[in-house]
Amino acid sequence: MMHCTMDDLGALRAGEASVWARRHITTCAECRAELEKLYQRVAQLKSLPSLRPPRDRWPAVRAVLRAERSRRRRTVSAWTGSLALAATLAAIMLFQPSNQTGVLHAELNKAKRQSATLEDSLKRYDLEGSVISGQAAALVADLEDRISVLDGTLAQRIEGAHQGDAELVRLWQERVDLMRELVNARATRARYVGL
Amino acid sequence: MTVALAVPDVLVTRAQAGDEAALEALFRAFEVPVYNLVRRMLRRPEDAEDVLQETFLEVVRNIKQYRGEGHLWGWIRKIASTKALMRIRRDQVRQTEELDDEPGKPGTHVGANIDLERAFERLSPTSRAVVWLHDVEGYTHEEIAEQMGKSVSFSKSQLARAHARLRRMLDEGASA
Repeated sequence: MMHCTMDDLGALRAGEASVWARRHITTCAECRAELEKLYQRVAQLKSLPSLRPPRDRWPAVRAVLRAERSRRRRTVSAWTGSLALAATLAAIMLFQPSNQTGVLHAELNKAKRQSATLEDSLKRYDLEGSVISGQAAALVADLEDRISVLDGTLAQRIEGAHQGDAELVRLWQERVDLMRELVNARATRARYVGL
Repeated sequence: MTVALAVPDVLVTRAQAGDEAALEALFRAFEVPVYNLVRRMLRRPEDAEDVLQETFLEVVRNIKQYRGEGHLWGWIRKIASTKALMRIRRDQVRQTEELDDEPGKPGTHVGANIDLERAFERLSPTSRAVVWLHDVEGYTHEEIAEQMGKSVSFSKSQLARAHARLRRMLDEGASA
């Protein structure tokens, strides 16, 4: 005697069985028992206990979220700062091209070039969307926060800058140092994930 | 596992506004169902943890796009299951599955006193995913086929083969 296959039983469960299977199940106790077993297995699967994550993953998610927000703020701030800086430099060059100002100007340009180069390097190690440990993400977030704060200070400083502003140069050099740390942190992580 | 989670609309609104406390509240509300779903689908616990994290990264990045059409759990579950299926596909490319649904192949003998949960874990990831999504989460074969990039008949046949194998393993365990 021919019996229902698992496909037939599945179709019976879904109400999509063939005429033959629907007739057969009414007369075959063996197949009815198989169908009942199938229902029981599904019910047992549904009642399996919930598995809980062994570790709290929220800190890692939050760290990435904060880093992304910080990066967005920093990008806006950097654009604003760069535009204001360009205007200030133009003013300095026009009104007092003394020796000291020339040196500061050169230092400032050097720091700006280094900063831009590091920004480019950072793009190579942009791991957005990848899994990152909470510790690594926290370090990156901290550095990005500090750069963001520094950019804010730079933007204010540039607005009130006077000719030969040594403090402005120092701030840009500090930014270069932080950017270097950030690139190193991301490069380390990139090597870790095999990029 | 049936999830009947409801979160207040105000919580979703706050999360959409970027409120970190609200985002964490959403994470806390759904971390167990998401982990349970992807852990049942994936073989390795560490993969399930990674998918949990990836899922919520996508949730917090895209929560503004959730328009309240359908249950929030349905939206999050779709993200989670898609990511789990992507991982299964990636692993299939990288390695031949250790276990197979074909009877008589190495790895099919499961020993005595096996229970359903252990038998289920011995299915291939693809079979596990289909069984869990269909029988527990209530996905239709059409939905599974779409998510897996396969045909409806593939989903149906995977389900039937998986149940045949579960039945066989449970019988062997009971008779051993």
